Amino acid sequence: MIKVNTEDYPWTRPLSVQELLDEKGYIFPHIVVRINGEYIEEDDYPKRLVQDGDDVLVLHLMAGG
Amino acid sequence: MESGQYQRNHDAISQTEQAILAEKRVLVAGCGGLGGYVIENLGRVGVGHLRLVDSDLFEESNLNRQLFSSHMNLGRPKVLAAKQRMQAVNPLVEVEGFQTRITSENALELMQGCDLVVDCLDNIPSRKMLQAACEQAGLPLVHGAVAGWRGQVCVVLPGEKLLDKLYPRQEMDRGEEARQGTLSFTAATIGSIQASLAVNQLLGKMAWGKKVLMIDLLETQFQTIDLD
Repeated sequence: MIKVNTEDYPWTRPLSVQELLDEKGYIFPHIVVRINGEYIEEDDYPKRLVQDGDDVLVLHLMAGG
Repeated sequence: MESGQYQRNHDAISQTEQAILAEKRVLVAGCGGLGGYVIENLGRVGVGHLRLVDSDLFEESNLNRQLFSSHMNLGRPKVLAAKQRMQAVNPLVEVEGFQTRITSENALELMQGCDLVVDCLDNIPSRKMLQAACEQAGLPLVHGAVAGWRGQVCVVLPGEKLLDKLYPRQEMDRGEEARQGTLSFTAATIGSIQASLAVNQLLGKMAWGKKVLMIDLLETQFQTIDLD
């Protein structure tokens, strides 16, 4: 089990950040990802693996007023 | 001080709290989509002094969401429209309008005498500048931002620097709103929550904590995320 934005999400295999974003339907190009407090660079999304127990934070980057 | 103006605020807001609000001064940075709803709500609830800052004039593209914009006032300063609106809605509120851009040069001066700042700006560098100025002035900042159907809101106390967590990339100027635009009900929702958080903060009713409320109106989802 992992946490995605404080909610439990089943973990069945190591999956990349990009795969997780695709699975969860995060489609915005401007996204901020943090795993266990560490910010993940966009270039690393395809190779950075999410492991069992990880706490993943996904924020849509928005700044409109 | 009391008239029928605030009759229906009670007892959600007590007479004592109403008197406290009348003495408070809030700086609203940005009088567009979010700012319009923030000003409308703070004025109606009875925050006694509003200091409004925005350099822009109304243009046609504002009409889909900016509360004080109309076909009658295109080309006119947003701060002026906001001031006139408040004079019509609640003359008990003192409104100061500054038709200027808030920058690192003038922010501290504009914050002088204020109890709280509301961030209704439209780009990341200006928002971070505002956070830094609030930090220096020792003021709480109520942040709100929108993009399309989504929005976010949080309270940043001096020392917390929550915007650094929401906007960790230095090079970014704008977010998803550059592609998605901004919808009226998203601005109304986030602006109204900003106003309620501001009043909550001014009255010391409830601590917010290091978190952000993320809202998705397309999916009708509200989620509070810990940023600690």
